[in-house]
Amino acid sequence: MRTRWLKIPAAWITPLGVIGAVIAITWVGIAFTARLWVPFDPLSQDLPRLQAPGIDTLMGTDALGRDIFSRLMTGASVTIPLALMLVLMSLAVGTLIGAIAGYFGKWVDELLMRLTDLVMAFPTVILAMVVAAALGPSLFNAVIAAFVVSWPQYARMTRSIVLGLRTQNYVMAGRLMGFSPFKTLRVDIAPNVVGPILVLASLDVGTAILLLSGLSFLGLGAQPPTAEWGSMISAAIQNFDSWWIGLFPGLAILTVVMAFNFVGDSLRDIFDPTSQVSRAGARS
Amino acid sequence: MRTKFRYVAAAFGLTASLALAGCAAAAPEASDSIVIDTAFTLETSDPGRNYVPTGYMVSKALYETLLDFAGSDESTPVDGLASYESNEDATAFTFTLKDGRVFSDGSAITAEDVVFSLNRVAGMTESKANFLMNGITVTKIDDMTVELSTETPSLKLPALMTNPSLAILNSALVIENGGTTDDSDAAEAFLNETSAGSGPYILDTVNFESQVVLTENENYNGDEDIDFTRVVIRNVSEAATQKINLEGDDSQVAVDLSGDQVASLSDGINVFSTPSAQTIFLLINQSEEVGGVTSNPDFANAVRYALDYPALLELAGAGSEQATGVIPPSFLGALESGVEQDLDAAAASLDASGYDGESITLEYPNDYPVGGVSFTPLAERIQSQLADAGITIELAPAPFTTQIDSYVNGTEAFSIWFWGPDYADSANFLPFSAGQKVGLRAGWTAEQDSDVVNLAAAAENATNFDERETAFSNFAEALQQRGPFVPLIVPGSNIATASYIDGVAYNSTWTMDIAELQAK
Repeated sequence: MRTRWLKIPAAWITPLGVIGAVIAITWVGIAFTARLWVPFDPLSQDLPRLQAPGIDTLMGTDALGRDIFSRLMTGASVTIPLALMLVLMSLAVGTLIGAIAGYFGKWVDELLMRLTDLVMAFPTVILAMVVAAALGPSLFNAVIAAFVVSWPQYARMTRSIVLGLRTQNYVMAGRLMGFSPFKTLRVDIAPNVVGPILVLASLDVGTAILLLSGLSFLGLGAQPPTAEWGSMISAAIQNFDSWWIGLFPGLAILTVVMAFNFVGDSLRDIFDPTSQVSRAGARS
Repeated sequence: MRTKFRYVAAAFGLTASLALAGCAAAAPEASDSIVIDTAFTLETSDPGRNYVPTGYMVSKALYETLLDFAGSDESTPVDGLASYESNEDATAFTFTLKDGRVFSDGSAITAEDVVFSLNRVAGMTESKANFLMNGITVTKIDDMTVELSTETPSLKLPALMTNPSLAILNSALVIENGGTTDDSDAAEAFLNETSAGSGPYILDTVNFESQVVLTENENYNGDEDIDFTRVVIRNVSEAATQKINLEGDDSQVAVDLSGDQVASLSDGINVFSTPSAQTIFLLINQSEEVGGVTSNPDFANAVRYALDYPALLELAGAGSEQATGVIPPSFLGALESGVEQDLDAAAASLDASGYDGESITLEYPNDYPVGGVSFTPLAERIQSQLADAGITIELAPAPFTTQIDSYVNGTEAFSIWFWGPDYADSANFLPFSAGQKVGLRAGWTAEQDSDVVNLAAAAENATNFDERETAFSNFAEALQQRGPFVPLIVPGSNIATASYIDGVAYNSTWTMDIAELQAK
């Protein structure tokens, strides 16, 4: 009955998917509201330094006497929206390039795919570091650097799907009815691309968070005093004995990345029933 | 039954053994051998070529110098291998060697050895320590007497003669193994395997990447009475690892602990905390082209009075002190007290400076802690304090190797840097003067403040110690009032030892004298 009220087919509800969705939605909620309810100003340096977790400060304080809990929660409002924005940007650009390459083929395909190969030829993190270092350390530049290395996978996947669909009878029928190439892509092909791309995007949110946090950890992303999870872990290195400074941002990254991965796995099962069947088979 | 009894007896025996072993670990006892953990800066064990801290520590144990410092007091040199007298205008210094002193091979120390050793450093132009002998002429008077002379008054010369780079070598042995007094010197390879000095230790083995082993010099007949006959100096780059090793009795001395780390050390560890000779300061560029509004002297004053120095000092931990000026506390001419926060004075200066709320970029190296003080939290606190005073700061951290070029080239408008002495004398801080090396990095030319230039010249050329101390104080005071530098912190030096070790005395050049470590 509840399932019908939520309009979610029962087959879609898997334990991991639900857990992932709850954690992810919680983090997204925190990201957009944290500044309204955190107990301390995340930049205020008024508390005792290096105070261990306790009643006054739930997750302790850092080397400057800032409340780790407040910084962690407001850090979500830096990392998660940027990661979502990064994924959306990569999805939009990568899908468009992949669709054009797959549909038009010939030299257009060659040109766009060689460009994609060029980006994919470099190790992702190294290329992101090079781009971020060249542009100068800042969160905005870190997002651009991450975008540069993230879009090709969307282009690749979209192209492969479009290549398979463009010779289908219903697509050809649309063309014979006088559909322009872009109308064909929008009306006949896009609905078949959305599912796999959504799965990829949901899995990619975790990767984006890891990449942005990694760049900040290396000093190429968020700059002090911004509360950002990667830079908070980086600061913990200077105070190795105060375990709480690095532990909680690390746990935050762990939970949010796992949550989005669980959601992505569930979406894959939904859009690709064969994977669900194969899992069920393995279990039985 | 008998089998069960055996099992019980064996278990009891094992438990007793473990308990005894545990007791032994809990209460370490003195032995003839100690292990010292430090982050290596070691390139050579040839004292004449060395110019890095770990190398100085090793050289100090293997060799002796004409003069020395007593414990941590670096204000006045005391007798080493020799005593000295100077003429009235401080241009000629006569050193008389002590009778009966010998090298580790038993041969006597003579004036020939002094002349050779000092001229060797003067002649090796590629040596980083070569500048220590600039303008000094060495002349043998007799077998036990040497005169060092300079063209201009040089009261810093006695302090220079304490530097381990100017150690006295066994000239016959070094010459036999390629030693010369010019660039053709080839004795480094020999000195990297064998020591040729008169210090309380001799070199046993050396690996510049991992460890140095020193053993007792059987022929030593100086004043030191060493308790540890074998010393292992290990390269442990992470201070956190040094702490773990010390607490686990894997080492007996940890040299590079931060103030926060010594605060959390377990019981039974001795900690010797003292201000180092490094000074961390803010640079405020006086060139309008480089700094814009920072070039207005009133802006420097606004920053100077806006800062809450005790709150900055809190970040530095044990042993640290507020920098009272560009000259750190243990040096001649250091000021008694530093600047105090005065927000009214800061506001008045800020109004007078023409500052209009624009964002000023604060640059600093973010991967190079000095004396355990990391610059990122320091910069964040400065940013917060200056924001309270109405100055908007944007932080621009970068790795040391990236940041150093713009600092040296004088293209940073506002930055955090540090300065440490090359030798234990206040003359090391004269480069902060207008028109000098550090002054020019802050865009401060000699024409902009001729008074400070004259004060620096008076300190440089003073001919007696009272006059010199006054001159240095006047120089430091003038910089404190109107210089483009805001001295912030003198970080602490924290040396921790096992409970049974005493005698640690910090020195800004050789960090500590290993021979002075004593078993309680």
